[in-house]
Amino acid sequence: MTFVSVENLSINFRIYHDRSPSLKEYFANFFKKKSPTVSTFVAVNNVSFQLSAGDRVGIVGHNGAGKSTLLKALCRVYPASSGNVQVEGRIAPLLEIGAGFHPEFTGRENIYLNGSILGYTKSELQGMESDVIEFAELSEFIDTPVKYYSTGMYMRLAFSLATAMHPEILILDEVFAGGDISFMEKARARMHSMIDKANIMVMVSHDHHLISSLCNRVIWLDHGKLIADGSPDEVVNQYLNAMTKMQ
Amino acid sequence: MFESLKTTNREIKAYSNVLNQLVRQQLILRYRRTVLGYLWTLINPLLMMIVMAFVFSSLFHAELETFAVFLFSAMIPWNCFSAVVSQSAGSFINNESLIKKIYLPKLIFPLSVAWALLIDSFFSFIALFALIMLIGGKLSWALLFLPSAYMLLFIFSLGCGLIVSVATVFFRDLQYVIAIALQGLFFLSPILYKSDAIKGKVAWLVQLNPLVPFIELFRAPLFESSLPSPSIVMSSIAVALVTLVIGFIVFKRAENNIVFRL
Repeated sequence: MTFVSVENLSINFRIYHDRSPSLKEYFANFFKKKSPTVSTFVAVNNVSFQLSAGDRVGIVGHNGAGKSTLLKALCRVYPASSGNVQVEGRIAPLLEIGAGFHPEFTGRENIYLNGSILGYTKSELQGMESDVIEFAELSEFIDTPVKYYSTGMYMRLAFSLATAMHPEILILDEVFAGGDISFMEKARARMHSMIDKANIMVMVSHDHHLISSLCNRVIWLDHGKLIADGSPDEVVNQYLNAMTKMQ
Repeated sequence: MFESLKTTNREIKAYSNVLNQLVRQQLILRYRRTVLGYLWTLINPLLMMIVMAFVFSSLFHAELETFAVFLFSAMIPWNCFSAVVSQSAGSFINNESLIKKIYLPKLIFPLSVAWALLIDSFFSFIALFALIMLIGGKLSWALLFLPSAYMLLFIFSLGCGLIVSVATVFFRDLQYVIAIALQGLFFLSPILYKSDAIKGKVAWLVQLNPLVPFIELFRAPLFESSLPSPSIVMSSIAVALVTLVIGFIVFKRAENNIVFRL
């Protein structure tokens, strides 16, 4: 049973107006009982929703509305400041591909390093290694350190690895793909098959057409608050109307 | 406390694959593309210690061979401890890009540092041990105590490493303070001298130094061919466990804030 349950989730960031306090200042402030100059920024403010199998959710909102923070909270990168997040099922965070690649490691070594970080077991990695290399079209350079890779090669390897398994819950930040035209085609096809096979998909995008075509539910965030949650046409229109009014 | 210990243990098990990869990364990367490769891990401290043995044995008017064994037996635990403490300082900061993008149990970062350095220390121990035997150390049954000595040293170093790794995230200045503090600690530890040799104003500082029993754990079997005294074993067990518990509590309290402060 895969589901995602978010209840009254808030995520607060502390903002330091000057800089992070040094040890000396910390003790000085400690004795003076003066608190350092911080203010709290609420990136996600009391958001609740439930996702169950079959949900294809798009999240819309202006820049800095808390969309990415919310996705990272689903992936447990940011712990909840209050409220809670419950996730049941194998989750694949495709937030920024290539996170955890080590430049000095070869492509093959990075498959194992990054693969383990993405949650694949060793035997799974051994099984997928040749497929990943083939899909990334890197068989010639797989034993070269990735710092010598072109951006396209790097992206291809990261993409192939990140999408090698079908997760139950797929988390996407913007739509990411790289490489030349022929790879883009291949990448798009694989993306769509992943989205099809995932039980739950959550994505953030500024491309409303993409959201309308891929999603069956849209959540609108504004300054960290959940403004609307409903069918794509309805919520996207509401959001676009609000945006044009602002201008 | 026990509940969080259990969940942490379960998480580390689930992510043991990542832990292995991080340890491998540290062991492999350091000397990649150097001709001698991993051998540098052995050569570096070895040369340093040989220089020290020459300089200080003549300074103290001691016989070179005896002094060398005396010095090496204490440098083994010291090098391991100081490396764990100084490298733990960067364990979260250096992995900022990873921690901010993907969830991993935070404990694996300082743990992988300590683990990799323990392996390093083990190999340099073998090299030093060969050298000790070559210049007149004696084989004895007491040497069988060394695995336990290593275990206690590891627990103590990991505890210190946890505290340092968390504290550096919140106070970046610590990175520099630690280097100086370690230098001071080196001279306040009975490495170049016997633990009862220091008299006068700083004697009490040496008495307070928690590292002292751990050095004795190594020095007794390697230099004196005897088991460390029970009181030293007991005090090192106590210090090691208390440090690890404090380290774990400090870590647990800060765990959820680390990602916000990187």
